[in-house]
Amino acid sequence: MTYLMITGRTVNQGVTVENKTSAEYAAETSTCFMHEFDMMELGLDDGECIRVTGPCGEVVMRVSASEEVETGTVFVPYGPYANHIVAAGTHSTGMPDFKSHEVEIEPTDEEPKTVHGLMEDLGGLAYDR
Amino acid sequence: MIVKDAVCPFCGCLCDDIEVEVDGDRVVAVTNACELGTKKFMGEKRLKNPILRDGDAWKDITYDEAARYAAGMLLSAERPLLYGWSGTHGEAQCVGVHMAELVRGVIDNTSSVCHGPSILAIQEVGHPGCTLGVVKNRADLVIYWGSNPIDAHPRHLSRYTRYAEGFFLDNAFRDRKVIVVDVRKTETANIADEFVQIKPGGDYAVLSALRAIVRGKTETIPRTVAGVTREQLVRVANLCKGAKFGAVYFGLGLTMTRGKYKNIRNAIELVSELSRHTKFTISAMRGHYNVYGSNEVNTWMTGYPFGIDFSRGIAFYNPGETTAVDILARKECDAALIVGSDPAAHFPRKCLEHLAEIPVVQLDPYPNATTAFCNVQIPVAVTGIDAVGTAYRMDGVPIRTRQVLSSGYPSDREVLLKMYTLMQEGKGQ
Repeated sequence: MTYLMITGRTVNQGVTVENKTSAEYAAETSTCFMHEFDMMELGLDDGECIRVTGPCGEVVMRVSASEEVETGTVFVPYGPYANHIVAAGTHSTGMPDFKSHEVEIEPTDEEPKTVHGLMEDLGGLAYDR
Repeated sequence: MIVKDAVCPFCGCLCDDIEVEVDGDRVVAVTNACELGTKKFMGEKRLKNPILRDGDAWKDITYDEAARYAAGMLLSAERPLLYGWSGTHGEAQCVGVHMAELVRGVIDNTSSVCHGPSILAIQEVGHPGCTLGVVKNRADLVIYWGSNPIDAHPRHLSRYTRYAEGFFLDNAFRDRKVIVVDVRKTETANIADEFVQIKPGGDYAVLSALRAIVRGKTETIPRTVAGVTREQLVRVANLCKGAKFGAVYFGLGLTMTRGKYKNIRNAIELVSELSRHTKFTISAMRGHYNVYGSNEVNTWMTGYPFGIDFSRGIAFYNPGETTAVDILARKECDAALIVGSDPAAHFPRKCLEHLAEIPVVQLDPYPNATTAFCNVQIPVAVTGIDAVGTAYRMDGVPIRTRQVLSSGYPSDREVLLKMYTLMQEGKGQ
C-alpha cells in the first residue's frame, strides 16, 4: 500500500537528539505513526515491524497507532531511519522533500536496525558501539 | 551553586530565565526549562578526547594532532565543504567564514535544510516581522502555520502567546485567539481556538484563498480548498481582519513541502494583504538555538545567509547548487568540516554515501550519527553550558549565553582558531 510520509519533530526525538547512539533515540526515530484504519488494512498491531520503501531504498521501522495522522499519511520523527529512504533532490532550493515522499509499507518479521547499523551499511564505522 | 538567568542553548526561543544548579562539573537540576532544554543542560556521555579513525578502529589523539589533521585536510582539498554552524556561537561562525574563504571552500549552515526556503522568500518580498516581546504584549491573534511548538518550541506558547500575559491585553488568555493550520491534528492543534486541517501539499492553495477573501473576492472561492471549507476560510479571514494585532509563526510544514519557498512568499503576501486592514506580522519558528545567528554572521561577512561558495575567490550564492545536500549528492566536495550539527542523522542517504568516501572532521561534544563517517572528531564545550558566546534568538535578538560550569573542554572558537592559524601558516600568511 502507498502512503504519504511526513517527517517532523517530536518531544521524544528532541530529548534524545544529543544522544543519538542511544536505544531511546533509535526507538523514537524508527517509529512510524499511522492511522489505526490503515493498520487494520495491513493487519498490523501496535509495535509490529514494517518495511518502508521509498525512492532511495527501504528501511524497517515499528508502527504506532496515532490519531494525529489522517488515513493515507504516516508520520516519522526526524532522524536517520526516515532519511534512509528520502531522496536527495532539492528542486534547486537546497531543501529535500522531507515532508512529501510517497512510500510503500508492508508488514515484516525483520527488526529495525540500530543507528550504528544504518551508518555502517552506508560505509561508516561506529565509535561507541 | 545555583546560576540564575542562564540561557537555554536548545531551540530558537533562547529562553533566558533558566536556573541551573551545578555541583562541581555537573548540572544536577534545571528549573524553568522545558523538557528539551533540561535534557540538554543535563547531557552526559560526552566524548572525552579527540579521536582518529585508524582503519577499522578508533584511537585517541591530542587536540594539537586533531587541529593539524583538520588544517591539512582543508588545505589539500580542492572543494572543501564547511557545514553546520547552527549549534555554535557567533564568534566561532566568524572563524568558519574566514576558513572557508582562505581555502576557497563552500560554507553552508543547517538553514539550507530548515528555513532556507523562508530566506529565499524573504529575499523576494521582504520580512514584515517583529520581536517576540511585541507579540507577547500586543498580539490578540496568533497563527501557527505548519509548526508544532508543543513538540518543537515548548515554551513559545507560555512565554509569548497562548499562556503569556500581555501588557496591552486585559486578559491575555481570554482575549488572545490562537489558530493552528496543519496537516496533522497535533498537540498544538488541541489548544487552538480554531484548527484548520489542510490536505498535505495544500498550503499554497489555502494561502491564496485567504488572500482572495481578504481582498473581497469570496465569490471566487470553491466550496473546499485543499480540504478546508469555504465557511472556515471566511471565518479565519474575518478573525484576521478583526484582530488589532496579528502574528503568524510558520514552521517547516511550509518549507519542506511542495512549493517550498513559494509557500512562504504567499504567506508573507497574505500578511501584507492583512496589513491593509490591521497590523500583522510573520516570522519563522527557527529550530537550532543559533541558526538565526549563522544567517546573520554569514550575511555580514559575505553578503549571503547560507550556501556560500568561495571557489571563484569571491562569495557566490546559488541555493540548489551551493547548498550542502546538493554538493554531497553530486559527490562534488572532497573534504568536509562539520561543526555544530549532525548531517548523518538529518541528510538523505545519498549524501551519507559520499561522506563515507571523503575525509571528514567534526567538532561536536557527543558521539553522534556523523561520528561514524569521521576521520577525526574533536569534542568541544557546549555553548551556554561550559562556554560563552553570542546567539541570535528566532526574532533576530542577539543574546549572550552564559557559562554555568567549567569542564576543561575548549570552545568551538578556540579549536577553530587553532586550525585557522595553522592554515594561514600553511598558506604562508
